[in-house]
Amino acid sequence: MSASTDTARTRLALVLGRWMPFAMLGLMLTWLVVVPLVILLVGSFSVTGLPVDFFTRGFTLDNYIQTYSDPFFWRMAWTTTVFAVCSALGSLTLGIILAWLVERTDLPARGLVRVLIILPLATPPVLLAIGWIMLLSPRTGFFNQLLQSGLGLSAAPFNIYSLTGMIFVDMLALVPSTFLILSPAFRNMDPNLEEAAMTSGARFHTMIWRVVLPLLLPAILAAGGFLLIVGFLVFDIPGAIGMPVGIFVLSTRVVYLATDAPTGMAEYGLIASMAIFFLVVLLLIAFGYQRATRRAARFVTVTGKGFRIRPFALKRWRWVAFGFVALYFTLVTIAPMGILIWASLMPWFAQPSWDMLQHVTLANHLDFFNNRRAVRAAQNSITISVISATAVAVISIIISWVVVRSNAVGRRVLDALAFLPIAIPGVMIGVALIFVYLTFDLLPIYGTIWIIVIAYVTNYISFGTRASNGVMVQLHSDLEEAAMTSGARWGRLMRSIIIPLTLPALVAVWIWVLAICMRELTSALLLQGRGNTTVPVLLWGYWTGGQPNRAAAVGVWLVVAMLFVIGLWQFMAQRSRLSGVRE
Amino acid sequence: MLDVRNLRVEYRTAGAPYVAVHDESFAVRAGEFFTLLGPSGCGKTTTLRSVAGLETPTAGRIEIDGVPVFDGATGRAVPTHAREIAMVFQSYAIWPHMTVFENVAFPLRVKRLPGAALRRQVDEVLQMVGLGDFAERPATMLSGGQQQRVALARAIVKDAKVLLLDEPLSNLDAKLREQMRRELRRLQKHVGTTSIYVTHDQDEALSLSDRIAVMRGGRIVELGRPLDLYLRPRHTFTARFVGQAELAPCKVVQAGADAVLVETKLGRFRARVNADIGARANHLMVRPEHVVFADADADADDGTGENMLEGQIANILFSGKLVEYEVQTGQGVVSVCAASNVLRTLGEAVRLHLPPEHCVLLTDGEGGGSLGDIPGGDAAPAGPGNRRTA
Repeated sequence: MSASTDTARTRLALVLGRWMPFAMLGLMLTWLVVVPLVILLVGSFSVTGLPVDFFTRGFTLDNYIQTYSDPFFWRMAWTTTVFAVCSALGSLTLGIILAWLVERTDLPARGLVRVLIILPLATPPVLLAIGWIMLLSPRTGFFNQLLQSGLGLSAAPFNIYSLTGMIFVDMLALVPSTFLILSPAFRNMDPNLEEAAMTSGARFHTMIWRVVLPLLLPAILAAGGFLLIVGFLVFDIPGAIGMPVGIFVLSTRVVYLATDAPTGMAEYGLIASMAIFFLVVLLLIAFGYQRATRRAARFVTVTGKGFRIRPFALKRWRWVAFGFVALYFTLVTIAPMGILIWASLMPWFAQPSWDMLQHVTLANHLDFFNNRRAVRAAQNSITISVISATAVAVISIIISWVVVRSNAVGRRVLDALAFLPIAIPGVMIGVALIFVYLTFDLLPIYGTIWIIVIAYVTNYISFGTRASNGVMVQLHSDLEEAAMTSGARWGRLMRSIIIPLTLPALVAVWIWVLAICMRELTSALLLQGRGNTTVPVLLWGYWTGGQPNRAAAVGVWLVVAMLFVIGLWQFMAQRSRLSGVRE
Repeated sequence: MLDVRNLRVEYRTAGAPYVAVHDESFAVRAGEFFTLLGPSGCGKTTTLRSVAGLETPTAGRIEIDGVPVFDGATGRAVPTHAREIAMVFQSYAIWPHMTVFENVAFPLRVKRLPGAALRRQVDEVLQMVGLGDFAERPATMLSGGQQQRVALARAIVKDAKVLLLDEPLSNLDAKLREQMRRELRRLQKHVGTTSIYVTHDQDEALSLSDRIAVMRGGRIVELGRPLDLYLRPRHTFTARFVGQAELAPCKVVQAGADAVLVETKLGRFRARVNADIGARANHLMVRPEHVVFADADADADDGTGENMLEGQIANILFSGKLVEYEVQTGQGVVSVCAASNVLRTLGEAVRLHLPPEHCVLLTDGEGGGSLGDIPGGDAAPAGPGNRRTA
């Protein structure tokens, strides 16, 4: 072999090495993320809303004109904004108070409290909504009836079927996530910074305003951005509470037009033009969110130096604070889950009372385990969740390695592509995938579990890559370079160093994706076919089909499964923190 | 053993490329302990990482034991894992998921060494660094000094041609650093591996090295034995960076073969060190510990008044072994270091003698071509050497 061909080969390998990751991963991300969006965009300009017709029957603006000239649309956009902003502010307030209490004060039983705050993650939002409907429905709500008879009121004091009701339930549903985002910021703030303010002569409130809040502001902004996005795209709660009484938000409207349109045909044209509005609003929020989190990263005060937090003494407020936590837990778990368990044990819908105790039956639960449809749904849910979670974890770690560590061409583009889906709601992914797989016959997966898997991978890849980017950044590059100077090649490096070191965090990502896939309703609902019903879709079907007791039984078992998965997740997260990737 | 020719490393930035290493050349002999010394940002670590293959230079040529591992002209770049090097990182880079034994065994496992031989070699190296009893410890349960030894053992066990050490002692506390320095020197002599050591600590460099390359702004300013760099530096930067130096700008009055007479603001001085610089000399330097008090040295005053200064003691810094006096003369302050056997008092009038055989002539840029042509925009570190005295 001559020297020059040797050199040419090295050069070629170098160039290929720099381009290959982008080519492969870019192609995959394009298929997952860009194609659905483009198809959606094309569809919005087509007469029937289906992209195929755009090519055969030409361009039209009718969909846009019809959507945006309708005052109903603008009222709905306003409702959506009020709903998103109010529930974000509500859960942000609750989240900040809870994070401060748990991380920085001498609240009693803080370990238990932490578990109690995170636990509601096991309740799918749709179940929380159903629980609160059973409690606060104006005619049959348990609390309403209690208050009415107890206080002698002529009418029910609360009506869950209102915008306020939706905001109330959504706020409760978002608190655990808010807490999870905020508590590390509260925990990692070096108390020296506060002490420095105090020794500089600052009083308590000056310290809070001038030092503590500015330091936490990026984390709070980041949490706010996240909550706003979720508020704009959530379907479950407005779907369960608002849809039956005609209070629409964008996401419920899209589902309504897709499944329940008055004409009997799905209004794909209107859906597509509406979805574009969605996309623009969400991209704006996501952009702000990313800027806020980037600033947050700059503020990170993790010095690697250990410090002991001197908890703030609550004194006689300790038990008041504990009571506050207990009230929160009652509202978000005990009350709604209590009524659901009760309902699941009843042969028909009835209020809790001593008289009804004699009618308690396990029929609904037995039905869930014997009914072929239900068993099939459980199998589907498990299969879809496991495959999606595995795919997300594997793809995320590879993308992160390329983005954070390699010098591959276009790695920033990959990062942006992987982040984009955070702004695409489940509703839109669902609609877009219908478009894609109705348009192309390449992959005959319409109506199968695989189309749902694709929806989930697309949807959660942003979460997966954010998490694994974080781990990759923490992993000091010296650890890799030490392996290289020890003589290890790429494969060995991955096998012996990178994967073992990132595994605990990766498993945590896997379990977390598993959990959200198991409780996801929106995409699965839109993409349901004959053979791919999931447990939440089954539950939704029972509930909207007037079988609340069967729905409750399904819900109880879904929560049991979720509790198990979330317990596992917390355990792994704890372990990954303990085995901590230290520099 | 290691040959670096015209090495150049550029980083792409938004504007003009940032040049981390300018055309840099040096050769390290087999078994030598060679140090790259300089302030942060001088390009020393970049040079080391280029040798390891962790950094891709823009141009130049690197040979390890006669084998070219990088050649900018042909584009040849041997990947890191295939180079005959071993490296100790500043952060130690101990893998937290492995035991001490597994960390050290890693390079041998990569080589697919059979179990028994591997066990024996790892044990031997662990004994050598004094960690024989720690083999089965998780690597995270070690103190800083012990982690340092693991990192060293892992590099030694690979038995590579060149050992690269990137500021390995900078994360240790002062006492431990002193101890590890001795141990490092002992180990290096024992193993006999050619070593390239990067540091910004001149004490470390002086006590460990066979030869030192003093770097600044991506260039080697001066290269030589520790003794020469300290006693006979030729550049103001070296004089200031290696050890404490009393410097004064000077004009040459009369240049002779073995002595040069110069004029400074402090007076006239005869200097015998670096007399060959002659008329090009523009700074005069003397080490504070080489200045003597005239009353303590009978031969100091030869009556000519040459190399003599008068002043008062303006400040005293007592550090135990040595005492540093700041002497206020008519034209400025001169530092003098003396042993603590005779103590002087504040305000005492003293006469100082700067012996010609310790007066060093320096250039700051001319001749060597290393300092003067650094462009203004270059990110040269704001070290003491940058202060130009006109």
